Amino acid sequence: MNASTLTGWRKAAIITLLLLPGIGLIFLLVGSVIVMAIAQSFGYFNLAGESVLSLDHWSGQLANRLLWVSVIYSLKIAFVSAIVSVALAYPIALWLRNPFPGSASISALLKAPMMVPGLVAAFLFINIISFHGFLNEALVGLGLISTPMRLQNDRYGFGVMFLQVWKNMPFALLLLTGAVQSIHSDILDAARDLGAGALSRFRKIVLPLTLKAMQGALVIIFIGAAGDYSFQMIAGPTKVSSLAQYMYTVQHEFGQWNDAAVVAIVLMTVALTGSLFLAAMVQFIVAGRRS
Amino acid sequence: MSRTRLNTILIALFLTVIFLWLAIPFAMAILWSLVDPDHAWSYPDLFPQKLSFGRWSEMWATTNLAGALANSYTLAPLVAVMAITLAMPTAFAFGRLDFRGKAIAQFISLLPLVLPGFVIALFFTSLLFKLGIYNKFLGIVVGHTVLFLPFAIRILSVSFSQVRQDLIDAARDLGAGPLSRFSVAYLPVLKPGILAALIIVFIQSIEEFALSFVLGSPDFTTVPTILYSYLGYNFIRPNAAVVSLILVVPNVLLMLIFERLLRSEGAVTVGGKG
Repeated sequence: MNASTLTGWRKAAIITLLLLPGIGLIFLLVGSVIVMAIAQSFGYFNLAGESVLSLDHWSGQLANRLLWVSVIYSLKIAFVSAIVSVALAYPIALWLRNPFPGSASISALLKAPMMVPGLVAAFLFINIISFHGFLNEALVGLGLISTPMRLQNDRYGFGVMFLQVWKNMPFALLLLTGAVQSIHSDILDAARDLGAGALSRFRKIVLPLTLKAMQGALVIIFIGAAGDYSFQMIAGPTKVSSLAQYMYTVQHEFGQWNDAAVVAIVLMTVALTGSLFLAAMVQFIVAGRRS
Repeated sequence: MSRTRLNTILIALFLTVIFLWLAIPFAMAILWSLVDPDHAWSYPDLFPQKLSFGRWSEMWATTNLAGALANSYTLAPLVAVMAITLAMPTAFAFGRLDFRGKAIAQFISLLPLVLPGFVIALFFTSLLFKLGIYNKFLGIVVGHTVLFLPFAIRILSVSFSQVRQDLIDAARDLGAGPLSRFSVAYLPVLKPGILAALIIVFIQSIEEFALSFVLGSPDFTTVPTILYSYLGYNFIRPNAAVVSLILVVPNVLLMLIFERLLRSEGAVTVGGKG
């Protein structure tokens, strides 16, 4: 196994063969899924009826108010979840930068929600906020409220955002801890000696040096939250659909594969452009501050 | 205020938050799973009137939980072994070779992780229908394998890159053939990585909801889809508590093993010198 000394077409052939079962398979599946969605959105690959090129599905869905309500709602959930997760993760990552007794256990405990499947997390959350849940019992017990409050499936989606943060903050922390720990203490000490306060050290040193990790965390969390189905179904508002939920309803309850394909492409576009916009925005803010 | 004093306060604050963040939710799930089927736990009772394992045995006897467990735990090992086998050659290329287009290939390898899960689930299903494949077990095995290949490729690439070239060369100089070179120089370093990749793919497959739900429903159930059925339109809280615990406890144990494996530095311990 010494392919590194080979040259020319033999090397290329060997590498292609090596990549085929892994990357080849991923490319085949992801590619055909996307091609399938695009083709079905224009009326091809019809599962029921004839396949004809048609823009009806696009014009029908784009004129549908429900689609736009879902776009706005999913964008809102994704923006808030990504930003809040990262904002909470920063101070913790900085706190854990220099090890102290117990810091390893603390970071292990903080990462625990990553091991909890989303559906289980949603269930745990419902138990806490339900009519007869821990929060209501505690508030009534403390005499702060007289009767339990209805908190489940709130109309603004706060429950969903809370769940997204609960599940994703550890992921942001994982990425940021690595980035924060790779900052040399010399740089921070030098800034301190030159009279920089904690806030300006954070703004002028930590933020620029951890920008890539932060953008990575924001993008991944944003895409995940924009495509959420299970948190929305269990803890989300009953009157608004997330994009994934809307897509599934269109396909499952109305049997409209072609319309669902339109929603799928809208969902992918929203997730991609939204996350890239967020990454560009923080780049602009951080770079703007430095100058 | 001194730094240590501040830290003590922060740790105390942190423990309170963790208590609310983790301990109470799980304690409530355990309590709900132990509510006796004949004695409901309802407002204003602060604690259940009677605790028993009645719900667990009742669910085992009357629901499809056993079937769902069998499905999940047949799928996951199969998916894990397939993903690792398929990931090996790619991971070797990523970990040990330099070639043009490597960055693009690495980007493609992450695609299943960044596309919305429900979009993949729905249109992979539609693709299978179009191809006339209606075997749900087979469909989910293929889907999970490709969806979780990125994890296996990533972990194994790191392992391959930790194999020391001098050990490979030494083995060759001493006359070792390809097979014994692999078992002497590669395998000891790869072993923790292979195990870690098996575990992570296994966990991901057990947890996966979107594809199992879209393709599998209504007749092919896995543990997450059965949990969803108790959380959705028919909300049965004690049943959901039982399934939640069945889903989460093995995962946490496996995850702890996984963390330990990642921390063991195969290359350093096997290589002798640092």
